[in-house]
Amino acid sequence: MDIFHNILLGFQVASSAENLLFCFIGVLIGTLIGVLPGIGPTTGVAILIPITFGMNATTAIITMCGVYYGAMYGGSTTSILLNVPGESASVMTTLDGYQMAKKGRSGPALGMAALASFIAGTFAILMLTFIAPPLADFAVSFGPPEYFALTFMGLTLVTSLGGDSPLKGLISGVIGLLVACVGIDAQSGVARFTFENMNLLDGVGFIGMAVGLFAASEVLVNIEEPMQQIFTEAKLSVRSLLPNLQDWKDCFGALWRGSIIGFFVGVLPGAGATIASFLAYAVEKKFSRHPDDFGTGLIEGVAAPEGANNAAAGGAMVSLLTLGIPGSGTTAVLLGALMIHGLRPGPLLFSNNPQFVWGLIASMYIGNVMLVVLNMPLIGLWVRLLRVPYKVLMPLIITISAVGVFATDNNVFDMWVMFFFGVVGYLMRKMDYPPAPMVLALVLGPMVEMSLRQSLTISHGSLGIFFVRPISAVLTVVAFASLFAPLVKIAWQRYRSGRESTEG
Amino acid sequence: MRKADLITGFVLLVLSGYVIRTAAQMPASGTFGPGAGFLPFWVGVILAVLALILLASAWRRKATGKEALSPFPGKRALLAITGVLGGLGVYILLIEALGFLVDTFLFVAFLMGVVEKERWPMTLAVSVCTTAGLFIVFQVLLGVTLPANRFGF
Repeated sequence: MDIFHNILLGFQVASSAENLLFCFIGVLIGTLIGVLPGIGPTTGVAILIPITFGMNATTAIITMCGVYYGAMYGGSTTSILLNVPGESASVMTTLDGYQMAKKGRSGPALGMAALASFIAGTFAILMLTFIAPPLADFAVSFGPPEYFALTFMGLTLVTSLGGDSPLKGLISGVIGLLVACVGIDAQSGVARFTFENMNLLDGVGFIGMAVGLFAASEVLVNIEEPMQQIFTEAKLSVRSLLPNLQDWKDCFGALWRGSIIGFFVGVLPGAGATIASFLAYAVEKKFSRHPDDFGTGLIEGVAAPEGANNAAAGGAMVSLLTLGIPGSGTTAVLLGALMIHGLRPGPLLFSNNPQFVWGLIASMYIGNVMLVVLNMPLIGLWVRLLRVPYKVLMPLIITISAVGVFATDNNVFDMWVMFFFGVVGYLMRKMDYPPAPMVLALVLGPMVEMSLRQSLTISHGSLGIFFVRPISAVLTVVAFASLFAPLVKIAWQRYRSGRESTEG
Repeated sequence: MRKADLITGFVLLVLSGYVIRTAAQMPASGTFGPGAGFLPFWVGVILAVLALILLASAWRRKATGKEALSPFPGKRALLAITGVLGGLGVYILLIEALGFLVDTFLFVAFLMGVVEKERWPMTLAVSVCTTAGLFIVFQVLLGVTLPANRFGF
């Protein structure tokens, strides 16, 4: 009954007045960020790191996690009402959600989106509660080779699952590794790639880079295409939001399938909420008795992806907390935040900082309840907030970012780092390079390098060490498989198209 | 996009050359195993290989349809982006001399009034509110010492 003891401890931590307040603030900001198009959860979390800098670690991470899953809630609102996804994980919700709104059923669509998020989110936290501790126990026996294989696998999975072009994902990740090398080498004291600049001896600041790569570059991309003012006439009362009995019957299957798919996709390093929602929608279409009706306003087409993206946010916490491997851009930024607060995610986190881990998990139960209680009555208010023009938002996002980056170290140089990576991030977005692998590589870089060098020291320079030990062998094979999977796919397509053309 | 890929491929190749050269000058092995230059050297080699693949695949593609289009926006959008970036650069450059309050006020006013071409009353209101809001959150609530000019604000 250890788990119940731990949960109890967690709720004690999470229900302190301070933690409750900041959990509330976190989910509120998260919903806001989810609702507003043009600012995503990664940007939100990145901007919040400096602001939460002075808090204690538990409160800070509770706030940022609140933003993360809060954004998953909020993203559905604009998808349904305006056909504009608030963030990428809500793209699938537009398909049936907007059609429902057009038929005058925006109330049940919004209500089901919120309730599906709540049900799937809670399911994922329950799974997290029971799966994470044994996984952490298992991972305690990991040595440097296992750690290298694990981080290596995390990096390759992110690059191969991330964007459209695996090659560009890889380039982004490799450059991130190079950026991680900047500064004094922790093992030998040699200064690397510092260009004689004092400020670079400590390495490139993570906050400056993350905020530049996500927040600043997002502003630059958005400024290109002026967003039109969006209005909606929908009148929404709490009563009109409640789905009827038939809706629940239709959604029953979608809810549990979406929850399970979302959770396990979320646990996988490299796949995030966006992929989970795509997969859940596709599966629901396959299981449906009337697959052709999808896209015309089926409520299960809203419940499945909205449930899945919330469950994925919970699932991602499993690999983040137990293994220290983030699954997406947002969790990579969260990992950076954890490290800044002096917490080292990984198997030992559960035994060394039980108050933190269980406090965070308990806060997620509480946050989910807050979200559903808050959002049902407040949806009307969020919709009105959409009228804040981007013109006003844009200077606000830039100045918060710049001042926040400055505030972490009282150093103007960090602002230049943000400026530089803002430009880099803009160029990357325009040329289809995903930014997530770069941030992930910067966060994992020191761990990759240390475990690689330690392993090779143990083995006297032989790479065989990664294949002899069973766990690291499996992980390394998965890593290579994910690297070469795109090549195999291309070869197979060419082979098939070649055969068809000779036969036909 | 083809042209963009060719240019990035070339830039990445030059970068990897620099990385490999610099890493080769670092100690490649310490007393007990790989040294400081080990990882950067091999990461540089991988980057060179990836850059060559990028170049080769871009070279073989034909520049038709979407491939022929530049991923970058037209003149007007580019002007707005340059405005924001230039403004941000000047903002960072002057923040210690002008102090947070003056500098932020001017920067927001520039973004709203010049880049977004908003009317002046609105610009003024947003600039004052943004500056005051940030000051309250960071300096008053979070206790960060924001840069001040020599007159003390």
